[in-house]
Amino acid sequence: MGIHVHLRVFAGRDYMTESNHSTFEHPEVQLAGTGYVAAYVAGIALMGLSLMLVKDHALDPTALGIAISGIAGLAALLQCVLLLHMTLSRTQIWQTVALVLFVPLFILTIGLTSWMFHGLYQRTMLRPIAASQAMAPAPLRAPR
Amino acid sequence: MLVHIDGPWSPLLGRLALTEIPYKNPILVGTFLFAVVLAVVLVGLTTYFGFWRTLWRDWLTSVDHKKIGIMYILIGLVMLFRGFIDAVMMRTQQAMAVGPHSAGYLDAVHGYLTPYHFDQIYTAHGTIMILFAATPLLVGIMNILVPLQIGARDMAYPYLNAVSLWLTAAGAALVMASLFIGDFAHAGWFGIVPVMELPYSPGVGVDYWMWAFQLSSIGTTLGGINLLATIVKMRAPGMTWGRLPIFTWASLSANLISLTTFPVVTVALALLALDRYLGTHFYTAGLGGNLMLYNDLFWIWGHPEVYFVILPAFGMISEIIPTFAEKPLFGYMGMVVASLGIAGVSWGVWLHHFFTMAAAPAVNAFFSITTMAVGIPTGVKVFNWAFTMFRGRLRFDLPMMWASAALFFLLVGGLTGMMNAFATNDYMVHNSVFVVAHFHMMLLLIVYAIFGGVNYWFPKVFGFRLEQRFGRMFFWLFTAGTAVVFVPMFTLGFMGMTRRLDYVAFPQWQPLLDIEVVGIVIYVLSAAFLVAQLYVSLRDRAQNRVGADAWGTSRSLEWITHSPVPFYNFAVTPEVHARDERSWRHERGLDDAAPVVYEDIHMPCKTAIPLGLGALGFGLAFALVWRIWWLALLCSGAIVALIVIRAFMTGTSYTIPARDVEKMEHDRKRGAAKPARAQVPGGSPAPVLGGGT
Amino acid sequence: MKGAAGETAGGLGPVMWRPNHGYDDVSTKTLGFWLYMLSDAMMFTALFAAYAVLGHAMNAAGGPLPGTVAHPTHAFTETLWLFSSVLAYGGAMIALKKGNRVGVMAGIAVALLVALGFLGSDLHEVTRLFAAGATPERSGYLSAFFALVFYHGLHVIVGVAWMLVMLGQVAVFGLSEAVVYRLLNLRLFWHFQAVMWVFMFTFVYLRGAII
Repeated sequence: MGIHVHLRVFAGRDYMTESNHSTFEHPEVQLAGTGYVAAYVAGIALMGLSLMLVKDHALDPTALGIAISGIAGLAALLQCVLLLHMTLSRTQIWQTVALVLFVPLFILTIGLTSWMFHGLYQRTMLRPIAASQAMAPAPLRAPR
Repeated sequence: MLVHIDGPWSPLLGRLALTEIPYKNPILVGTFLFAVVLAVVLVGLTTYFGFWRTLWRDWLTSVDHKKIGIMYILIGLVMLFRGFIDAVMMRTQQAMAVGPHSAGYLDAVHGYLTPYHFDQIYTAHGTIMILFAATPLLVGIMNILVPLQIGARDMAYPYLNAVSLWLTAAGAALVMASLFIGDFAHAGWFGIVPVMELPYSPGVGVDYWMWAFQLSSIGTTLGGINLLATIVKMRAPGMTWGRLPIFTWASLSANLISLTTFPVVTVALALLALDRYLGTHFYTAGLGGNLMLYNDLFWIWGHPEVYFVILPAFGMISEIIPTFAEKPLFGYMGMVVASLGIAGVSWGVWLHHFFTMAAAPAVNAFFSITTMAVGIPTGVKVFNWAFTMFRGRLRFDLPMMWASAALFFLLVGGLTGMMNAFATNDYMVHNSVFVVAHFHMMLLLIVYAIFGGVNYWFPKVFGFRLEQRFGRMFFWLFTAGTAVVFVPMFTLGFMGMTRRLDYVAFPQWQPLLDIEVVGIVIYVLSAAFLVAQLYVSLRDRAQNRVGADAWGTSRSLEWITHSPVPFYNFAVTPEVHARDERSWRHERGLDDAAPVVYEDIHMPCKTAIPLGLGALGFGLAFALVWRIWWLALLCSGAIVALIVIRAFMTGTSYTIPARDVEKMEHDRKRGAAKPARAQVPGGSPAPVLGGGT
Repeated sequence: MKGAAGETAGGLGPVMWRPNHGYDDVSTKTLGFWLYMLSDAMMFTALFAAYAVLGHAMNAAGGPLPGTVAHPTHAFTETLWLFSSVLAYGGAMIALKKGNRVGVMAGIAVALLVALGFLGSDLHEVTRLFAAGATPERSGYLSAFFALVFYHGLHVIVGVAWMLVMLGQVAVFGLSEAVVYRLLNLRLFWHFQAVMWVFMFTFVYLRGAII
């Protein structure tokens, strides 16, 4: 017979009625691990580093902006790998591909929007930078 | 936090009052009477034929992707009709209200529509045609075809599929409700800011538009997820990416767009809602708002949305042409790359909708170039279709007529689009009817592809072909109508006529406007032939029954299963050997290769919860429109409760034993000789099998 | 329709049909949910884009400026709450790996309680700002700021509600397949909003303090 009987462990079950113990062996369940602790430590350390840089005004504003953006990117990347398991393994490949396809869109949306409004403000607003400096910040009378 | 609204408001009914019913407007009263008569007729017919039970059990509570697709298409057709009536009103108003001496009727100074009413009509026309006609028609076709083309039993999430359908239906119902209760938006289909802000639009029109939009966009996003997961995860064995039928590739590209862009419009409209309800300042002219932000966010969705509707149209054309040229598609890989390329480039072109915003020259140049770059993958597609036809055995059955005519509209629309892509040229034609004529060419290309696709796959879904003689007359009249309406419109655009005019100041434009009315009359005539075609097809269906392959030269996988498709699609999952599996089997004489061994089939049970969610979605949106807070809270609470209850339900799927599948398959074989049972699309499971909830 | 030819072809020729071809239900469900999360990320992106447009001093319309509204140190304590909750949920996932039902429930319960801590902290911050007159309707800048804060907060609220439901599901159904894929989806949801928080913390709170 040329017919291949092709069975998989998780094939079409009426999943609500039976408790299926082999579900724990599903590769996605098995992804969990100590990576979560690493993500926790790294996330807090990186965010703390950013906080310190900003608190101490360690760099000039532009460099500081770039530095904390870089740190945020690193932290997000670590979390994507360690928490969300974005890897090239057979289990996770589609998730990773989907994310990788999305990232340019995030950048395009924010980047192109910022770019077009940057130009627009320069051309249509009365010197926004100078105006912002002239504008006295309103006092915020709350306890800090 | 809530913004104070001038005018009466009661805790029980919100802003709703008897005065909101437009009983003084004869046009709306007439429409209402028409709707009532239609409803009475439909209810009467349903009762007369005892169809209520079937309607509830086999349609409204169905999770079958084919039936959901058909219901999507029905919604699309109803809304297409509504949008068409709007078009007729706009054309006649513009032809009547020309020059200062033109007569006025029904409270209007010129023509028969007051400016406010006219504004609502063009807003409704655009909103309906894009969101509630083109989108449901195409989503419906994708719903039916994609699982069949990849050899799946259903979508990845049949239940979610029904939720998407009913959310879209709720949005459409909200647009229809605005006809008779309150009024509709008057700020254009894409929303002109800050006109949509509360001080300038204190009525409920913008709210209707906004919430209807939200409902359908949530539905479409969920539908996109469903189709993508289906294509990635549910392919039959052997259906590698290189063998995926081209329509499925087109659907994949289209749904990448819907998944990524609809969330942006959801945000754009949610921020508008915050402005209108909570008094924030996202798009206001003062207090630090920026009204161009709305245009930016809206068109981040708006332009890709155009490709979301055009890619499935391209996919259908790509399926039809090889069948009727009796050749495999030329340049399959090129087509795939072009589809994905269009989806990708669509993400970098949106500013061309507001070139005149005064962005920096470099920005306009960037978006000009990206817009023109869209022409490259589109050109690839056109050449591939041409080369597919080259030296083919061309047969001009109805689907082929629609598909090949679509290419002409693509040419006209594409070339005028290239003209608009030049920022400098766009400054000249911005907001003129030239632009309107351009995008109508593109949307008509979609309509042509849809009519082609419906004619092509109708026999697969219903088991009999559509009648051809009236169909041809419909085609030719529709084409004539298109030419007679839109050639003068291009001309008027060049002459400087702007969009959305309820009154035309220049009498010298009268002749061209009159010609457009002639075109509309031809359209109306063509619609009569469409009705005739459908009627005759239905009457003579016994003569027009077809086998699995309705056209004799079909190529892809969906043509190897029965026509109409049984509710389980394939008795046994097929093994795929080639890109054009049907052709592959046909060439090897394996057309009738029936399975030897049958298997138990697991199917999802039908459920009324999606219908309930749709109804509650409608209730929530309606309550928000009229600011009936208790109803809004009640509906939101009920939605959450239903979702949680559903999560605790068991027995949401049932099994058809292999021997029953075998029996049904054998019955079908005998039934092919003498069609005994009413063959509804998708059939219906034998009563013993239903494990319904 | 003659069946004979087909049946011999099925037996001797190429394989035409694949009985009992199954699909991986769990990974189909998680893929769809991940796609949904990415569309949610797109909503965050649109809100961040709005924040980029409205985050200028002139958008404050004379009201509170980013430097006075954003409070990085407080945001860092919120970060601690949030990441701890994520870690606790990770613990539930490790328990799930071994089929430890009690462990799963305990992990979720801890994650839930810590998430409530985050919400309390968030609420405290918002109340402080509101009391000081920094409300969303004050200016375009504050509208964009609160849109992001509340949208993220909404995620945490939904996450908490979902955890409650999952505690019920684990209690009623045990660790059945449906419960397992829902737990996996909740993992995606919960860990994903932590990634979004990284960007919130950096580009709203820290960046606000620089400007």
